[in-house]
Amino acid sequence: MSYRITETCNGCGACVKLCPVGAITGEKKNIHLIDSLLCIECGACGRICPTAAVKDSFGIVCERIKRSAWEKPQFDLKTCMPCGICIETCPVNCLAPAEPVSGRELHSHPFLKEDKRCIGCGFCASECPVRAVRMSRSFLAE
Amino acid sequence: MNRGYMGKILWVDLTVKEFREEAIPDEIYEKYLSGTGLAAWLLSERLPAGADPLGPENILAFVSGLLTGTDSLFTGRWMVAGKSPLTGGWGDANCGGNLSPAIKRCGFDGIFFTGVSEKPVYLLINHGRPELRDAGHLWGKDTAETEEYLIAEAGGHARVAAIGPAGENLSLISGICNDRGRIAARSGLGAVMGSKRLKALVLNGKKRIPVYQRAEVQRLSRQCNKWVQLQPPFISGPMAAYVGTLMRVLPTQMAMEGMVYKILLKKWGTVSMNQMSVEIGDAPVMNWKGSNVDWGIGKSLSVNPDAFKAREKVKYHCYSCPLGCGGVCATKGPYGDVHKPEYESVLALGGLCMNGDLESIFTMNEMLNRAGMDTISAGGTVAFAMECYEQGILTREDLDGLDLTWGNAAAMITLVGKMIRREGVGDLLADGSVQAARKIGKGAEAYTMHAGGQELPMHDGRNDPGFNVHYSVEATPGRHTIGAQLYYEMFQLWKRVRGLPRPPLVYHKDRKYVADEEKAVMAAACSKFMNVANGAGLCMFGLFLGAARIPTFEWLNAATGWRKAPEEYMAIGARIQTLKQNFNIKHGIDPRSFRAVDRVVGRPPQNRGANKGRAMDIEKMRSDYWHQCGWNPKTGHPQGE
Ligand code: SF4
Ligand code: SF4
Ligand code: SF4
Repeated sequence: MSYRITETCNGCGACVKLCPVGAITGEKKNIHLIDSLLCIECGACGRICPTAAVKDSFGIVCERIKRSAWEKPQFDLKTCMPCGICIETCPVNCLAPAEPVSGRELHSHPFLKEDKRCIGCGFCASECPVRAVRMSRSFLAE
Repeated sequence: MNRGYMGKILWVDLTVKEFREEAIPDEIYEKYLSGTGLAAWLLSERLPAGADPLGPENILAFVSGLLTGTDSLFTGRWMVAGKSPLTGGWGDANCGGNLSPAIKRCGFDGIFFTGVSEKPVYLLINHGRPELRDAGHLWGKDTAETEEYLIAEAGGHARVAAIGPAGENLSLISGICNDRGRIAARSGLGAVMGSKRLKALVLNGKKRIPVYQRAEVQRLSRQCNKWVQLQPPFISGPMAAYVGTLMRVLPTQMAMEGMVYKILLKKWGTVSMNQMSVEIGDAPVMNWKGSNVDWGIGKSLSVNPDAFKAREKVKYHCYSCPLGCGGVCATKGPYGDVHKPEYESVLALGGLCMNGDLESIFTMNEMLNRAGMDTISAGGTVAFAMECYEQGILTREDLDGLDLTWGNAAAMITLVGKMIRREGVGDLLADGSVQAARKIGKGAEAYTMHAGGQELPMHDGRNDPGFNVHYSVEATPGRHTIGAQLYYEMFQLWKRVRGLPRPPLVYHKDRKYVADEEKAVMAAACSKFMNVANGAGLCMFGLFLGAARIPTFEWLNAATGWRKAPEEYMAIGARIQTLKQNFNIKHGIDPRSFRAVDRVVGRPPQNRGANKGRAMDIEKMRSDYWHQCGWNPKTGHPQGE
């Protein structure tokens, strides 16, 4: 399964820069192409595309969202085991183990280290076995 | 179809620098799982009889587990396999950290190397595209430096496995490191990597791992995690030693409940057992001739669990592990923050050599991890040299002037350094005690504590004869990570697998030494189960929770979509066991030659200490085990000749 770029593409190249696996190729101002064997279905291309040219694996046209409004992970440290699954899952490596909170046993829980690089794919949340990660926009209010 | 595995492997021919992807049929996974099962199948098929372990024909396989990356827990183990230059037969080693998911995220269940490169190289896989790069500038660097360099070069994020100077120097007791000092140490496979002039693997994969029913795997994980997080308030580290003393003086023993061990592991890690093991008689002392009388609570106090806890800055979890038995410790030495030494390393470099100097243990542990040398075999070899020195077989001159008396920590550090660099007497000892004894002659062989050429780990089979059985019957001899009577009790397989016996709750200790059929059934069950575990990428410490609390079989079904009963998985484990045994026979090994040495099986029995008077009929135990595997009970040959 893979995302797909349709004729509406104006060749701006915004998605190319964002794709974490280098699956998108194309000349400037020409229709771009997604290599279906490389695509990991993170949806970043669909969220960034200004001309709504990207369809997801089900053929649904992706909706453009302002990057500042993309959902980001929040961690519930009481539930987190921690197991590191989310850190390894992140396709852009923007999660990292944090300094342990002193007082309790010294486990190092994950945190969003490079929030600017997060592409809002939600893989971290979907792979956390204990549901300790929640994708939200609540950081906007802060 | 989403089945938990990636469905293909990568072949790298180092001689001609070529890559080839091979799709693995679904039936193979159903027959052998992934991990070491898959490797055992491929190496059995493709490795010609008589291949030189350090030659181009040998295949070096880096494999991930079937359950790795499926959101199951305790499934972050990766395995390396190949023909062992140490034992001459099937070799594998197992390690944690974060490398295992990285293999799968590159799109492969395993990466298989053949040939020999002319110049040092390393493999880089970026977005599924492999390339071999020059590693000339890395040759000679230690594993931590190499890893740091390669991660920085890859842009700050990659998972790396590398050999250090020990593997480069073809030390037969060298291993392969990842995550700055975790090591797949056993079987001497670091030397195989060195012989291929392959310095490292740098993996930067982002592929998603397909799972049949991810939600179900996760539900099972949540249940399992509840047991892991159950943690009562605690007794102190030194107090644990007295629990061991009590266990020693009582004539009876209770079947071990793995939850108790889990609690210790979560609090302290494997070092929780340091003193307790000496007290019970589980830890060998003074090259296996001593006992708790020689290295009592007073002497071992320096390595009590709290001594490690006091230095621990943060817990270390391998990928997908909710427990976190590892730790990062601060040291005063030149290395700064290091991985907390494991029980095996502490006892091999401690009690086995009568060394109670904690700082020296930290130092040697880190030296060996960075060099990529097995701490068990290195400690065993130093202890061997110490006894040779005591016996006058090795003189001070032979030892380059070192006064290698029991417990001389400074001399030990110097000697370990020499072994790593193959310098002076270190060159003699760098291939382990058995090779050294062969060169020394003068009856030195009597002081090598090994099975099949591999130094024995820190679990005394005179306390738990199950260890001696597995040391002597496995395709990889001298290993403590497969089975024991203790492990059988903790695995609690009878709660899931029909027909397996439940051990009595309390029993007289003498019972452990009786070679009966039931014990052979238990031992064979351990072997089969650990083959399933090593196919799945599971950690043995997780399995100690007990089969009713860690859902091995249920996870496998949920991840693959198979509907196999636990008994069917055990049959897969049996198939892998036979495959490995046949591998050894194909490569000219007589299974009888793997028996653990006399001293270790109580010939003669010790005259004092925890295991006083203990001996066993290891030949009968071995024969019963072979029979349980369906092999010839006299020869250990699977074809029933
Ligand atoms: S969905 Fe993600 S991986 Fe696939 S092409 Fe778009 S950005 Fe790349
Ligand atoms: S996957 Fe969940 S439990 Fe594991 S480290 Fe991340 S947040 Fe914590
Ligand atoms: S949503 Fe999670 S996995 Fe995806 S980029 Fe952000 S932090 Fe990484």
